[in-house]
Amino acid sequence: MIFYIGPMALGLLMGFILGTRIKPVPESNLKFDKEVYAIVLIAAIAVAYYLGPFPYYKDIPLASGFVAAIVGIMIGKLIFGR
Amino acid sequence: MSTILKLFVFPISLIIICLGINTILGGHITPGGGFQGGAMIAGGLIFCIVVYGLKESPFKLSHSFLASLESAGALTFVLFGVAGLLFSGFYLYNLGVDLYGIIPPAIKGIFNYPDPIGAGIIPYLNFAVGIKVLVGLSAVVIAFLESDKIIGENEQ
Repeated sequence: MIFYIGPMALGLLMGFILGTRIKPVPESNLKFDKEVYAIVLIAAIAVAYYLGPFPYYKDIPLASGFVAAIVGIMIGKLIFGR
Repeated sequence: MSTILKLFVFPISLIIICLGINTILGGHITPGGGFQGGAMIAGGLIFCIVVYGLKESPFKLSHSFLASLESAGALTFVLFGVAGLLFSGFYLYNLGVDLYGIIPPAIKGIFNYPDPIGAGIIPYLNFAVGIKVLVGLSAVVIAFLESDKIIGENEQ
């Protein structure tokens, strides 16, 4: 199994940048806890699986950039989005 | 907005944003690229801002953040252009591919995008354009939403 670093690194970087801007909102009645992020992660992996190895790669049966982006968002949220 | 909408929009917007990033990453091979992907990411952000409002939106896009992100995108694009000018004599020369064979292999290795296609600097340029577009489009919507407040302050 081959992993291409390019799409993973750029996807992770862009997801990270956007993830840092997700902040808790004290004024809101709705709270998005870790369960929501866990469900989003599972849904994102399912979407990535149905997208296939986009764009025309043959490395893994997932859209690796898509998965890297959601992981980047989660990491950005965990580090700076508190 | 209704509570059901508020429950669903944030998770859905995360998926839309990831799809936008994926579109940017495939821009050198597939239809779409920096502009389209950036517009999709901005769509996800705008979706959140419109439904929750600026105050309650989980995405806190401050003026300084947007300004620095847009500047970073523009600077990245210009720096890749200047790098081409420095090493080859042509502005925005694709240093990673080097069609004319005029630059040293070490430089070519640095600028090549690590994937099987070997598109050189094109994916990096897509990335820079994507950042600029996502900031530009979301800033327009934020400015429109803020305009009520500014008009109210001016009337008083």
